[in-house]
Amino acid sequence: MNFNDLLKNDYIILDGAMGTMLQKSGLRLGEIPETLNLTHPETVKEIHRGYVEVGTQIVCANTFGANGYKLKDSGYTVDEIIRAGVKNAKEAVDGKALVALDVGPIGQLMEPSGSMSFETAYNYFKEEILAAEGADVIFFETMTDLLEVKAGVLAAKENCDKPVLVSMTFEENKRTFAGVSVASAALTLQGLGVDAIGVNCSLGPDELAPIVEEFTRWTTLPIIVKPNAGLPDPNSNTYSVLPDDFAESISKIIDFGTVKLVGGCCGTTPDYIRALKKVTDRKTYKKAAVNKDTAVCSGTTAVEISEPRVIGERINPTGKKLFKEALINNDIDYILSQAISQVNAGADILDVNVGLPEIDEKEMMLRVVKALQSIVDVPLQIDSTKPDVLEAALRIYNGKPIVNSVNGEEKSLSTVLPLVKKYGASVIGLALDEDGIPKTAEGRFEIAKRIVDRAKSLGIDPKDVYIDCLTLTVSAEQAGCMETLRALHRVKTELGCKTCLGVSNISFGLPNRPLINHIFLTMALEEGLDLPIINPNDEDMMGALRAYKVLANIDKNSTDFINSYNSVKTETKVIQSEHIALSDAIIRGLKTEAANTTKNLLEKKDAMDIVNNELIPALDSVGADFEKGKIFLPQLIQSANVAQVCFEEIKKHLTKNNDAPVSKGKIILATVKGDIHDIGKNIVKVLLDNYGYTVVDLGRDVEPQLIVDTAVKQNIKMIGLSALMTTTLGSMEETIRLVRETPELKGCKIAVGGAVLTNDYAMKIGADYYCKDAKDTVDKAKEVFGS
Amino acid sequence: MIELSAINRAEVLRYLGNSRAEMTEAIELLMDECESEIIATATPKYLYKTVSLSESGLLVGESITRHMQDCENAVVLCATLGAGVDRLIRTAQVTDMAKTVVLDAMASAAIEQVCDKLDGVIAAQNEGKFLTWRFSPGYGDYPIELQKDFLTLLDAPRKIGLCTNDNSILTPTKSVTAIMGLSDTPLEQKRRGCVGCNMAKTCKFRKNGERCEF
Repeated sequence: MNFNDLLKNDYIILDGAMGTMLQKSGLRLGEIPETLNLTHPETVKEIHRGYVEVGTQIVCANTFGANGYKLKDSGYTVDEIIRAGVKNAKEAVDGKALVALDVGPIGQLMEPSGSMSFETAYNYFKEEILAAEGADVIFFETMTDLLEVKAGVLAAKENCDKPVLVSMTFEENKRTFAGVSVASAALTLQGLGVDAIGVNCSLGPDELAPIVEEFTRWTTLPIIVKPNAGLPDPNSNTYSVLPDDFAESISKIIDFGTVKLVGGCCGTTPDYIRALKKVTDRKTYKKAAVNKDTAVCSGTTAVEISEPRVIGERINPTGKKLFKEALINNDIDYILSQAISQVNAGADILDVNVGLPEIDEKEMMLRVVKALQSIVDVPLQIDSTKPDVLEAALRIYNGKPIVNSVNGEEKSLSTVLPLVKKYGASVIGLALDEDGIPKTAEGRFEIAKRIVDRAKSLGIDPKDVYIDCLTLTVSAEQAGCMETLRALHRVKTELGCKTCLGVSNISFGLPNRPLINHIFLTMALEEGLDLPIINPNDEDMMGALRAYKVLANIDKNSTDFINSYNSVKTETKVIQSEHIALSDAIIRGLKTEAANTTKNLLEKKDAMDIVNNELIPALDSVGADFEKGKIFLPQLIQSANVAQVCFEEIKKHLTKNNDAPVSKGKIILATVKGDIHDIGKNIVKVLLDNYGYTVVDLGRDVEPQLIVDTAVKQNIKMIGLSALMTTTLGSMEETIRLVRETPELKGCKIAVGGAVLTNDYAMKIGADYYCKDAKDTVDKAKEVFGS
Repeated sequence: MIELSAINRAEVLRYLGNSRAEMTEAIELLMDECESEIIATATPKYLYKTVSLSESGLLVGESITRHMQDCENAVVLCATLGAGVDRLIRTAQVTDMAKTVVLDAMASAAIEQVCDKLDGVIAAQNEGKFLTWRFSPGYGDYPIELQKDFLTLLDAPRKIGLCTNDNSILTPTKSVTAIMGLSDTPLEQKRRGCVGCNMAKTCKFRKNGERCEF
């Protein structure tokens, strides 16, 4: 008997609780339940037997928390506990049921909420899976972080060939603690090729019903349902739903369809499973109709491609001087701000391209994808010509992304599509091949068909292939535009694929480009374009799209359209920008005014003159007010932000004139290894930026070696380190020691700060300066670089 | 369920390290904005459990032993605002540090308010008994490394998604763990103050002439 045999049954009966049963049989406070596999094997086996006797077909071994993190101080190894757990279960079921390796969450939060990296989680899971040779299936349960599950599923798929079941734990708001939605869980896990998905724990069967119903809309996989025996009473910690009522409630859930694996979680006993078995014996399995279109998702948000959706194109260095500079300087915040402004402007999906010959594209892609998914909810489109960059990003991406792109060339098909399949992504298919872009619509259609056929043969759903029929510049090849649109129409109607198109290429070389662009966009939408790749900050383009959605009867009651244009803010202030002094604008926190004044000043004065005689004195005066307690910290920061706008203007001016940018010196900032509090460090960054220093911000939780390597590579003269906890001062000391041991960094000054530090302690661990706050750090920088 | 309806502004100003500065309209507006965002984003959750002190393994060091004098039992508790608040603060950091510091201060005040409400829940549960104030790992010589034990005892990672990292930092960050002594007979109220507080040397409030004592 194996899992596939069981799938032939109408329903598969799982077991009930292990943890609450062990507590009943005398587990002591603080005792690790999995150690009982070795200390009290009979107790564990007895529980398994109780479930098999009432009809359980898959028993979960007592291995839920048997991972390297939780067992660290237990005196046992993961291998010992898991082998014993699987052996106990195997002996207890005696061939009458399958045995699952039960895998719970590691017990630490993943980055960015916590410090556990994807690879660390992967390795913990791998260790469990390797120890479970004897198990028949791998069952991830009670998971709340989709990226953690993904690490687990990949660890399972890459280290064994057993079926993988995944069940996650949702709250009544239909999200997990980590904010994962049902749609995101279903899309991502089905994409990763697991064998069944569903829900367990946290709630009783009635409360779980709407969550299961939502699952049936998004997945065709067999659904798992393992509720608690009701909600726990907060005082006694007991559960209130009785076995027959429990079974009746599950029977109603089964009627949604697609639910195939049923069992119980906390508070359930063999009585509940017996009742469940009785109820399911009377029923016949049926599948629910999945009515969702193809969709992509982040960990929190799914975007169904059921109407035109905007892919924001701005995270891409091509033709963008400032973006290139940001990539070279590791300025992740600049890239993140591009993301936020696109999302605010209405982007549904963001394309991410960080390819530049001067940098390590893979490393940068990883950093940017991690940073983006920690702050924006929209799904990402991973854009690279290098398969190894694509794979690295696909691995750590939290959700179901789009891969940009594959084309009709054999080399591309055979390298990119297997990645799309393995990681369960959607993919953009470019209608070109080794011979270039066919001139005719027929030629492009043929390539599109080839891509779709190949995808199908690898098991990729053709609905997940989005074809790009390629926009050619109309001023160079006037007939090309209609060929593109004809190809798009054929792909849409004959292949049933979704389509995408970069739009703005069309108008190169013509005057009034915006006009051509938005008319072309409208024409393409009418031919069936689903995914325009555009700059969402371009109001004309977004306007054309919104108007199209009204006229095509997509935007029902014109709701979005009205919301976008009816509430145009009434003019807030009349600005007399020419007359306001720069210092005044900075002190009062007026950004627009300060930018305009700076522009005017740049026509008359030297850039460094403005910096030294206008900007810095104004900042100093705000700083002095802050020290005296006259103004609040947010006001100090607001002033610094205004100064930043002025610096941007100056930078733009200098870049235009090809002068070297103004920098008073380069400083590394980092929050030390293990520490995840970075607000203080970021305040320091804002201030240093605005005093004209170039900050290389390495972020938080930073390895000492990375700090040293960066300092050596960039010839750094000053390093600022922050730590907020007594527990991370050790990392700070370690970092300083490593800097001091590096001959290339002789003479490099180290400034430290953070709530738990004192001057004495800073000196003791070998720092050059102790900075009591952000303003103080600027003063120390002046000492190092001369003001 | 504990719900937040308003955040204590006086505490927020204190966390901003400057309760003497002159309030401006702009700052007031920023405060309003941040307050409503924190309230909308926070998903306060808590757990508590009564344990026998001798069996709990949580009596480590002098400070806690003194604090628990005359108590046989204790209530172990934890609370969190949830991961959404961390994400909100993280996102604000990219575009607006001024707003970030206010959001951060608001969230710190909010989690204290949640704990104060939880005190009420626990007191109501233990009517007729006497409780000490909340004592947390990291106070005095009470080892911060006990965070993991607190969370394991309460099954907090599984039940409310509250964990620690290897450096005993709670994640989500706007979270608290604590223990309150429980006794059938009246307790001599221990003073809480700067003596014995390990932040005394660097405390910003102290420098401003403020005290946490009661």
